[in-house]
Amino acid sequence: MSTLSRTPARKSFKGLTFRQRTYVVAVILLIPALALRVFTAFYPFVQTAYLSLHRFNPAFDGATGPVFVGLGNFQRIANDPVVRASIGFTLTFVVVATFLQITLGLAVAHLLDAPFRFRGLSRTLVLVPWAIPMVIVALGFRWMFDDQFGMIPDLLRHVGLEMKWLINPTNAKIAVISVAVWKSTPFVALVLLAGLQGISQDLYEAARVDGANWFTSLRYITIPMVMPIIITTSMFMVVWQLAVFDLPFLMTGGGPGFSTTVIAQKIYLESNSLNYGYAASIGMVLVAIVAIVGAIGLYLFRRFDVSE
Amino acid sequence: MDSKQKKTLFSRGMTRRTFLKGSAGSIAAALAAATPGRFLTQGIYAPALIQNNKTVVLAIQEFAHDAIKAVLPDFEASTGLTVQLEGGPASGTDMLTKYGPSFASGESAVDVISDADDDSPTFIRAGYIEPLTDIIPQETWDDFPESFGSQIEKFHSFDGQRYRIPHEFAIGYFFTRKDWLDSKGLKSPATWEELVNVGKELADPANGVWGTTDALIKPALLYVYVAYLTAQSGGDVFAFDEATAEALQFLYDMIYTHKIFPEDALNQDYTAQNQLYMSDKVAVMRQWPFFQSVAEGDTAWFAPEKLAIELPPAGAAGSKAWWGGWGFSVPKFAPNMDGAKELIKYLTSVEIAPKLAEGQSWFIMPRKSILDAFAGKENAVLTAMGAYAAAGVPAARPFHARVAEAQTVVDDAASQFLTNQLSLADTIKYGQEQIAALGT
Repeated sequence: MSTLSRTPARKSFKGLTFRQRTYVVAVILLIPALALRVFTAFYPFVQTAYLSLHRFNPAFDGATGPVFVGLGNFQRIANDPVVRASIGFTLTFVVVATFLQITLGLAVAHLLDAPFRFRGLSRTLVLVPWAIPMVIVALGFRWMFDDQFGMIPDLLRHVGLEMKWLINPTNAKIAVISVAVWKSTPFVALVLLAGLQGISQDLYEAARVDGANWFTSLRYITIPMVMPIIITTSMFMVVWQLAVFDLPFLMTGGGPGFSTTVIAQKIYLESNSLNYGYAASIGMVLVAIVAIVGAIGLYLFRRFDVSE
Repeated sequence: MDSKQKKTLFSRGMTRRTFLKGSAGSIAAALAAATPGRFLTQGIYAPALIQNNKTVVLAIQEFAHDAIKAVLPDFEASTGLTVQLEGGPASGTDMLTKYGPSFASGESAVDVISDADDDSPTFIRAGYIEPLTDIIPQETWDDFPESFGSQIEKFHSFDGQRYRIPHEFAIGYFFTRKDWLDSKGLKSPATWEELVNVGKELADPANGVWGTTDALIKPALLYVYVAYLTAQSGGDVFAFDEATAEALQFLYDMIYTHKIFPEDALNQDYTAQNQLYMSDKVAVMRQWPFFQSVAEGDTAWFAPEKLAIELPPAGAAGSKAWWGGWGFSVPKFAPNMDGAKELIKYLTSVEIAPKLAEGQSWFIMPRKSILDAFAGKENAVLTAMGAYAAAGVPAARPFHARVAEAQTVVDDAASQFLTNQLSLADTIKYGQEQIAALGT
C-alpha cells in the first residue's frame, strides 16, 4: 500500500477535501461547454415555450407585456390556413426531397464507386452543386424557371412541353423540390460512397459464384450493408430540411398564394411583424415535428443496430 | 505518481447526480451575477454599445449617400459632430428584419433611420421610436402641402405625437409608349375600359408584347398593384369590400380574359418589369418614379416619347394612385440621441431639403421649398407630380395599424385568386377573415 493511500482523508487547500476539489475542477472545466448549451439551446427553448403560451407583440401589448392565453395560439394555428398549408408543404418537401436524394445519391455513389478513368475528377465535379451557396442556387433557378426569360421553360417548349412553372402551384412545388434534390444529392452520394467502399468485395464475389445478378447483389448485399448509413443520412437530411427557408423563400417568395410557404417562412413572417407569441407557438409545432421524426429515427437506429 | 495512485484518485469518480448538482449550481451563480434589471428587461444577450457622442450614425439606402454627404460639411462644422452613413434596407419588411430584434432588446446601433410606411407604424406603436413633435420646427411642417396631413397623422403619428418626418414622396406613375400610341392614332387610356381596348390594339401575346404589365411577385409587390387598382375602384383594400373585388376581377380579366397582361407577371419583380418595358414589349404600365432614372440611364434605348407620363386610367372612383414614402425617425435607443435630433432637424429644414432633392431625385417631394427651388427647371417627375396633384390623383395609402401583416393578407389572397386556387367570393371571404383576425 502506498504512502498516499495510507494517509487518512485530510483537509486540503482552501479547506476542501481532495474529492471535493476533484468535483470543483471537473465542474469548472465543463462550465464553458455547459454554458454554451444553456445560453444557445436551453434558454431560447424555455423562452420560446413560455412565449408560445402568451400573446405578445410589443407594438400592441407593450403596456401589458405578454398576456397568458394558454393554448390559444395553438388553437389559432389549427384555424390558420397559411400555417396548415405550410406544414403540409414542409412535410411534402422533406419526404419527397429526402427520398429522391437518397435514391439518386445511392445511384450516383454506385457510379462513382465503379472503376473508370478520371474517377477522382468526376467525384470532385459531382460535388459542385453542393458547394454553391443556397442563395445563389435559389436566385439562379428562379431565373432559369422564369416563364418569360428562363432557359428551362424554353428548353421544354422546344420538345413540345408548354408549362408554367413558378406561377402554377403544383409546378412551383415540383420546381422547388427539384432544386433541393439537385443541390443536396451530391452530398448524400458522397456519404453513401464512403459506405459502399467499406463493403468487402468478397461478398460480391461469393454472391456471383452463387448466381446472384446485379439486382440481387444490390438487394441482399449493398442495401443491407449501407442501411445504417442510409438511415443516419436520411435522418440528417430530414431534420435539416424541416427547417428549410432560404430556397423556397428566394425562389418563389412562398407563392403562388402560399403554396410553397414553409413553416420556417411563416415563423419569419410572424416574428418580423413582432408577433413573438404566435411565432413561438409555430416554432413549438416545428419542434414537435422534429421530435417525432427524431423518435422515428431512434427506433430505426435500434432496429438496424446502427450502434454496432 | 504511479498507476496505482492514479487509480486511487480517479476511482472516486463523481456520480452523475453530483455532477449535475455542481453544474446547475455554477450556472445559476453565473446567471445571478448578471445585472438583474438588464437581464430581465433585455434578455441575457444585451451587448453594451460603445457610445461616441461625437458621432451620429444615419442608416439610409446607399444610393442617397452622395446627396447627403454634399450637405453635411456645414452641419459638421457648426455642431462639431461627425456623421457616419450606413446602408439601410430597401423595404419596410427588411427594416423589420434588420432593426426589429435590436429594438426589441433595447439597443440600436444607429441614431437616425430612414424608415418606410410598411414598418414605421409598428415600430412607433412598439415604443421603439422617439417623438419628434418638439424637435422639428413648425416652419418645416408648414413646408409640406396640406394634402399630406392625413397621411402624416396615420403613418407618422400616434397618440398625438409625431414620430417620423417624410423625406420621400412616391406615387405610381402611368408610363406610356407615346410613340406606339401615336403610330396607331390612339390616345393614352383614360378609363379601365379604354385600357383594355388600347391593350388589345397593341398587345401581341404570341410575340410577348403586352398592353400593360406590373410586378406582381410576393412579397409586397402584388399588394402594391392591387391597392393601386382598388384606389381607382374606390375601395379600401384592407376591407376586402366590393370595390376590392372589382379591382381583383379587373386584374384577372386583363390577364386571362383580355390577354393584355402577362400571366408571368405573377413571378415578376420591378427589375423584370422594367426590362420588359425597355425591351419594347409593353405599351403602358404603372411604375414608381425611380423608373424615370432607370430608363434615362439606358441611353441607347431612351427617348422622351417612349416614356410619357400620363394620368392613370380611371376606375369607378376616378383617376387615382396611392402615394407613400420614406421618412426620418430616431430610435428610442439611439446612442447619440441629441446628435440624432440635431441631424434630423437639419436634413429636413427648408434650407437643406431642396439641396437633397437636387442631389437625388428620391428626395423630390411637393414641399414648397423644393417646388420653389425647382421652378423653371425641366424635370419630368416634378412636372408629372404637379399634373397629378392638379388632377387630384394622389390617394391616401391604405392604412392598417398592422400594415405589414395586412399587406401580406392581400398578397396571399390576391395570389390565390389570380392563380385559380380560390374563387373571387372565397378570396374576399378569406381576406375579410384574415384581416379581422389581425384585430386592432
